[in-house]
Amino acid sequence: MFRTSDIVLIAVMVAAAAFTYKTKHDAENRLDEIGKLEAAIRTEEDTITILKADWSLLTQPTRLQKLSEIYASELNLQPVQANQIVGLDDLPVKPIEIEDLSNQPLGGMAEGPAKDQTVTGGIVQ
Amino acid sequence: MIPRLFKPKQETGTSDIVVDGARKTGGSPRARVLMTMAVFFVIYAVIAGRLIYFGIIDPEESGGPESRVTASRPDIVDRNGEVLATDIKTASLFAEPRRIVDTDEAIERLQTILPDLDVEQTYRKLKSGTGFVWLRRQLTPRQQNDIMALGIPGIGFRTEKRRFYPGGPTAAHIVGLVNIDNRGIAGLEKYIDDQGLADLQESGLATAGDLKSVRLSIDLRVQHIVRDEISVALEKYHAIAAGAVVLNAKTGEIIAMASVPDFDPNNPFNAQDKDRLNRMSAGLYEMGSTIKSFTTAMALDSGQVTLESKFDASRPITIGGQTIRDFHGKGRVLTVPEVFIYSSNIGSAKEADVVGIEGHREFLHRVGLLDRMDTELPEVARPTEPRVWKKVHSITAAFGHGFSTTPLQTAVAAASLMNGGYLFAPTFLPRSQEQAIAEAKKVVDERTSADMRYLYRLNAEKGSGKRAEVPGYRVGGKTGTAEKVVNGRYSGDKRFNAFLAAFPMDDPQYIVLSIIDEPKPEKPGMGATAGLNAAPIVANIIRRSASMLGVKPDFGHENAPTLVSYQ
Repeated sequence: MFRTSDIVLIAVMVAAAAFTYKTKHDAENRLDEIGKLEAAIRTEEDTITILKADWSLLTQPTRLQKLSEIYASELNLQPVQANQIVGLDDLPVKPIEIEDLSNQPLGGMAEGPAKDQTVTGGIVQ
Repeated sequence: MIPRLFKPKQETGTSDIVVDGARKTGGSPRARVLMTMAVFFVIYAVIAGRLIYFGIIDPEESGGPESRVTASRPDIVDRNGEVLATDIKTASLFAEPRRIVDTDEAIERLQTILPDLDVEQTYRKLKSGTGFVWLRRQLTPRQQNDIMALGIPGIGFRTEKRRFYPGGPTAAHIVGLVNIDNRGIAGLEKYIDDQGLADLQESGLATAGDLKSVRLSIDLRVQHIVRDEISVALEKYHAIAAGAVVLNAKTGEIIAMASVPDFDPNNPFNAQDKDRLNRMSAGLYEMGSTIKSFTTAMALDSGQVTLESKFDASRPITIGGQTIRDFHGKGRVLTVPEVFIYSSNIGSAKEADVVGIEGHREFLHRVGLLDRMDTELPEVARPTEPRVWKKVHSITAAFGHGFSTTPLQTAVAAASLMNGGYLFAPTFLPRSQEQAIAEAKKVVDERTSADMRYLYRLNAEKGSGKRAEVPGYRVGGKTGTAEKVVNGRYSGDKRFNAFLAAFPMDDPQYIVLSIIDEPKPEKPGMGATAGLNAAPIVANIIRRSASMLGVKPDFGHENAPTLVSYQ
């Protein structure tokens, strides 16, 4: 009844339908995924903004000044005076220190009277 | 197939009665089949129609009022990138009582996240049967997430953008304010809108991601110091107002500017109060003796006066029924530097006389003291001057009375005297020195500027500005103690004090101007002149901020003479 060509065509058609369905289904899944990711990105961005605002709130000079005043005695904090600020050029040259090497062990052959393991006739005497 | 199924029935029903019955019910078997088909068709049509109907109708309106669409605004940051103003999203919790399945359970579960929820009130709200009730405004993101995780039916969130100022009142007058629709109504917020943001928002193109943050020339740290110092001074001297500005003398950038009393932009219920205006740019004052800087500069710049010139200040000047006296009168002939450091009114009047009335007026216009300042801030007052200048106006203007100007433009004009004669339009946005010079107007000679630097330094070393001295930072300045006009007369006990300073004097980088309105003596018996209250404000600001402003302390200039004197 059916010719071979019909069967082949039907098979092709079914395969094509299945393929289309699968592609569409995959695309939809991907779209869902994209939507979820976008929502997550938005949340992250909002969180970043809020954290930034939080950070600037916590680092406000007003707040820091209050904190430093509160803990001034405990941490022994003092305002910086102008004469405490100097440039690199104003630093005095580091004095050259000559290390006292005389007490250090010399090592090697110079290290004191090494015991000679070789026993010769002259020593035994 | 179907006809075959029906065939036996047809064969059995050959009797009359059956035929009769068949005729009654539709006649031929064919008709019966059609009948059945029609019935099924109708049933399925109804089902299909119903489905289409459900597909087409909108789901029942829910969610209450539409969330307010607030426009995105760019962040405002200071010169180091610290946030001054930003948009944050806040979520508000609402409920639709009709959709809530179990009120008790919903409240019980909400309480686990919001422990301070008023149970009775919430219960009444949820039982009210209305379509929409607010439960809690402005949740934290964490609370929002937790509530979402509960999955209670019938509750939801609305997000709203809100402008947030982390610094609170620190830079309130500069940054300004937005209204409920997130539109700028004051300060630089308004300036940003006027620059085209408003149009962008209208066309819906202003989305949060595309807006680049706006960087200002303000340094938040210095801004804080300035505001802190003037707030302390306001209390200490029981004044009605105080203000200060730090201006870059080489670029015209405003590094910090504050005026107290001010307001909190996060809760600006009192921002429109008259006494909370920005006195630095929107307040007009007779600046008093600080203006003598300009009188002296004008005389020097005219070429007819040098630092060696002498003026007779031994006798008061009487003109038009007014007598001009000196506050610290010396009663002798004074040189130009002496006129400056003793702040002689008579000497200044005579200096102005050298230039003439029109010349004097022209000079004050030239340094921009009498014209409306051109800057980004919308709140700028227009200076006032006498309509017709007569001799008496020139004389009083010589020591800063008879015309009013804003403290900010006094500082800007002073910058031109210090930096070699370049007058800039002050700016709140970053500007490089090359840009500034390109746009600047040359108002006085290089030589005049050098002389003025010498006079400023001299006044801080020997004159009225001693209390502004900060070791290491070579401050120079001019005090100004002006009597305020009360009911059309100069009052003896109400003063407006100012101190106009520059540092470091060997090459001034910054101009600092402090003002204090109606200060009282710190302790009974002490004076309340500018040297005693306005100058220390400047000294404190410089002491605390100089290292942040990148000015290196240098004790070389001070050490040399002291060393000699010690020997």
